[in-house]
Amino acid sequence: MKVQGWLFLLCGVFFALVGVVYWFWSGEPVGTTALAISVGFAFMIGYYLMFTARRIGAQPEDDKRAEISDGAGEIGFFSPHSWWPLFVTLSAALAFVGFVIGWWLFMIGVACVIMSSIGFVFQYYRGHFSH
Amino acid sequence: MLPVATASAITTTTAHSSRRPNLVSVGTIVWLSSELMFFAALFAMYFTIRSVTIGQGHHWPEAHLNVPFSTVNTIILVLSSVTCQMGVWAAEKGQVSKLRFWYTVSFLMGLVFVIGQVYEYGQLAGEGHTLSHSAYDSIFYLATGFHGLHVTGGLIAFLFMLGRTYAAKRFTHEQATSAIVVSYYWHFVDVVWIGLFMTIYVIK
Repeated sequence: MKVQGWLFLLCGVFFALVGVVYWFWSGEPVGTTALAISVGFAFMIGYYLMFTARRIGAQPEDDKRAEISDGAGEIGFFSPHSWWPLFVTLSAALAFVGFVIGWWLFMIGVACVIMSSIGFVFQYYRGHFSH
Repeated sequence: MLPVATASAITTTTAHSSRRPNLVSVGTIVWLSSELMFFAALFAMYFTIRSVTIGQGHHWPEAHLNVPFSTVNTIILVLSSVTCQMGVWAAEKGQVSKLRFWYTVSFLMGLVFVIGQVYEYGQLAGEGHTLSHSAYDSIFYLATGFHGLHVTGGLIAFLFMLGRTYAAKRFTHEQATSAIVVSYYWHFVDVVWIGLFMTIYVIK
């Protein structure tokens, strides 16, 4: 994973250099702020990938002689099927429409967001999946 | 893969660690980096409005901020990051009761921060500084308000995390992952606040 880490770290170095040039060239705050914080954005991911690389050791993708089968195994948990994200986003949409229509609709929307978020977070904790 | 045929005489499968990167953690960091750029827009707004307002010969900051009060509030938020990390260390060792304790403490400290901010808003609004009063007030409420909403989101995440530890009979690896990514979010919100505090309250 070190290669991926370096990709982001070098982007950060690039943003830093461009940010300094931009500041001296324009003296304008918006772009300078955006570029300065972009450094943090790239370093944040880069540092985390380097940190993870150090912790988990070499991965199949780091080895030029690796085979596809070396990457076999569990990668993570992926929900195979879920309606909850749809309900969460519809509730969020309802709450934001409430900003325009009126506070009563916003409050109904917030209640829906809370209910659907609970369903989303606990969907693999209830019923058939309870453990 | 090297561009040569590999026969069975050569072992192509080299020993590597079977540990895979935790996709939830990596994904959370990538998402948080996009959140950082969201706050970058707010910082950019602040600096632009500041330079334009000063350029027009107006006073900056326009409102009279209660810096000592906000400093105490900031210290509470920073310390809540410490207690949150204690919870993470407990989660990594699978000590669920310690995790619950530290996350409850972090939740309460975050709640104090949000209540403190609402109190501060009330004071400022009482002095006539509403959202639409001036450009300074607009950016002050937008920047600190969006941060406050993020803290509130973090409080809800703490509750969900605590709920998960109670919803299952045993403490799973997946719950430890949830606890860790909630802590990433919390630390992130904390660091953003330090940036906002330094910009709005200290440098001005």
